[in-house]
Amino acid sequence: MRTVEVLFVIIIIFGAFIVATQFAVLPSPRQIFGTNLRELAVSTLQTLDAAGNLTRTVFKSPSDPAWEILKNALSTSLPPNIVYNLSVFEISSSGGVVTYRLVASISDTEGDLGAGSEAASYLVTSPNVTFSITPEKIGEKSGKNITLYILNCNDANGWWITGYTGQTLAADLYNLLSPYFKTTILVNSTSQLGLLLNGTALRGETLQDAVLINTFGEAVPIPAGYYTTQGYDSSRSSYAKYAYILGQRVHQYNWTWVSIVGYPFYYVTNTITFASTQNDWGIYGMKSVGAAGLNAFLQGLDSQSYSYNSQWITGSPGVVQFNLDASYYSNYYGVYPSPYQTATRALPTSILSTYHLTATEIFNRPPSPNQNWIAAATYRHTGGGALTAIGLTRIPDIRVTALGLLMYYCPTIYRSEFGASGTSRLVTLQLSQQGGA
Amino acid sequence: MAGPTIDHMVSITVLIAALLLTFGLYNQVLATAFAYQRNHQVVMKAVDLMNTICLSPGNPPDWGHTNSTPLGFGLQDPESAGYTLSPYSIMRLTSSSGGGLVYYPKTGLYYNNVSLGSGGSLLMPVGDCIDYATASRLLGVNGSYGFQLSITPTLNVTVSQVPASYLILKVEVLGPGMPVSGATLNYYMHRVVAGGGSAPSFITQSGVAQTDSAGSALLEFPSIDDSDDPYSFVVYAHLGGLKGVGYYSHDVLRNYPQFIVPFIGNFENGSIIIAHSWDVHNYTQTPVPNVFYNATFLVLTEDFKLRQVEIVNSTGQVNYGQGKPYAITQIPASESGILFISYRWGNRFGTVMVPWGIGTLGVSATFGGDPSGHSFVATELRQVTVNGISYQVKLAVWRLEDMNFGEGVRR
Repeated sequence: MRTVEVLFVIIIIFGAFIVATQFAVLPSPRQIFGTNLRELAVSTLQTLDAAGNLTRTVFKSPSDPAWEILKNALSTSLPPNIVYNLSVFEISSSGGVVTYRLVASISDTEGDLGAGSEAASYLVTSPNVTFSITPEKIGEKSGKNITLYILNCNDANGWWITGYTGQTLAADLYNLLSPYFKTTILVNSTSQLGLLLNGTALRGETLQDAVLINTFGEAVPIPAGYYTTQGYDSSRSSYAKYAYILGQRVHQYNWTWVSIVGYPFYYVTNTITFASTQNDWGIYGMKSVGAAGLNAFLQGLDSQSYSYNSQWITGSPGVVQFNLDASYYSNYYGVYPSPYQTATRALPTSILSTYHLTATEIFNRPPSPNQNWIAAATYRHTGGGALTAIGLTRIPDIRVTALGLLMYYCPTIYRSEFGASGTSRLVTLQLSQQGGA
Repeated sequence: MAGPTIDHMVSITVLIAALLLTFGLYNQVLATAFAYQRNHQVVMKAVDLMNTICLSPGNPPDWGHTNSTPLGFGLQDPESAGYTLSPYSIMRLTSSSGGGLVYYPKTGLYYNNVSLGSGGSLLMPVGDCIDYATASRLLGVNGSYGFQLSITPTLNVTVSQVPASYLILKVEVLGPGMPVSGATLNYYMHRVVAGGGSAPSFITQSGVAQTDSAGSALLEFPSIDDSDDPYSFVVYAHLGGLKGVGYYSHDVLRNYPQFIVPFIGNFENGSIIIAHSWDVHNYTQTPVPNVFYNATFLVLTEDFKLRQVEIVNSTGQVNYGQGKPYAITQIPASESGILFISYRWGNRFGTVMVPWGIGTLGVSATFGGDPSGHSFVATELRQVTVNGISYQVKLAVWRLEDMNFGEGVRR
């Protein structure tokens, strides 16, 4: 009799065990050996589209050979034990209803990938879609007609513009900045620069309030004749006085003089006048002025009397980062230089009081003990005239120069409405792991 | 009386047997559950660490450009978004798979030797590199989890010389386990020549080719002697968004080892030390070479072209011995590229390439501890780009407490 009761107990115990195991379904630890397929799919899609290849392919006809290349690339990039299914859906909207239509699908396996698969999606926009923008011309609001001059002198050499020439930089700056100015003029020789310094317009443009960009790095083109004689300080055998005259002209005409890299006004250049003179580094057509050039320019800008001063005033705070304004305007104008740059010719904050300047800075001030160095800024003199000095190390990134100028003048961008349909596609990549984990 | 007693004994015996069997079954289920939970924690930690490493640049974000120790660890390129890693931050990791340490008496420093293939060299000052213990501490897993990070190019591009009367190079492009057919190859051949002065110069020849169905391509250079002309060859392969790089070099040193050893002097300002090999290694060959070099920095552009830029001390002489200085050149630290150094002593010529940014020469990096011997190791895999080159990042993570009661694991 007891045996029968015990048998009942055993049946109850095993019944409880079976019920408990039915509800407590625990996956095998082997199931967690596999990699995170969803993140792998995301990273695969991003990698394939790093240079826009995926975007270009998914908008092509399914019979285009680019799909076969994409298939090869997918098979190549994924581990051999992972199979995939890539599907592309066209997104369209009608009457407020968004629909997804399958336009293409590629896979390296037949049939379903199974319940263990994971998928990631990626939205792409057709490379043919363009957004049109209309920039405001600088000075338009205030009724000024500001001219952009870019020094493109064929009789000048550059320094610290490693890998470029002044002429190539001039072409790039023209493309970048000319949409923001009503008139843009390339100054093709030092004699043309001499005309400007004499107050003569080259094509009837407005000279007052102009912007002059020196594309020759640390070297400044110098016109032969008046400027090589009056700009020469014979007592010091230096062309620092030319920089002083430049400072006076910038102040007189309310110009903005732009130095794109390094130590401003460190050399003067004229390949004819200095045909047999080199800049101490083997570059002919150039003569060293040294630190006296910048000091003389600032004296001229501040209407001080000329006094030869060869004191080195720049510092080297190292890596600097865009300030919030620069980051904002970088996005606003679509100009994307690296937000981290190395400053080796930063100007000291002391020049602000010495020469009556206010600075529109591009970078955050470096941390202590370098907090008194300004890596790059436009220095506006209270009485008129400005100097944009990008005190970064070579190689020059002219996008920093462009951003600095745009930050200073803040022209408005008028963007066109974008309402195109059928220009977006959704790409899904489904992955599944095959075999034992 | 005997009947009930036997009945009790039988019933108790059967009950105890049933209970033991049930406890055993419950124990098995619970053991599986515990193992699952423990391993699940490791997997979650692996995902967490991988996200931190690949999707955050660290703090400060530009620590790869500096010589200082970061406050937070991450390898994402601060100038990009998504799965793009900083080629400079990776360079600062102390590789666990390299060629060991190299001591240079002239600077008194040890350098971490990242083994590269023929003609490549990457030696970084140990003091400026980030080691495994520091990274573990910054990631918050010091003492609790171990990890190993492997960053390897997705495409394996190998270059070999085909025996012939003139130079023929065979380029093979392999993906993970399969050849890559139809890949476009952009190649650059830098042939070293004597030049006019003491230092050598080089002539660049570039071209485009495509791999066949076996994933290989033969490139012919009829003007180059396959044994007597020194050269360096770099090839970039791309297919549908995947990009890889391979290189090969040939020196004519006539039974001498290489003459020049380049060291990275400073991550922040991009200074490179050009040292005489006899000052670094215990070479005994005499006479000791009197070496003239020519250093050129080639910037890798977005469309995979190599653009030459000027650098300081691009040519010079290095001598061996007491008081003899090394040469220092400086490359633009913010630009990724290849420092190409050609050198000569009489009619002996050689080349060495230093990648600035690991992607420019497709350098692999392995960083961290050794996962072998641990009872459970979770792995995570992601695809990334470094310098535009496709890489795969594999992260292995394990629990360090396993060492205390692991299965046959030695402490």
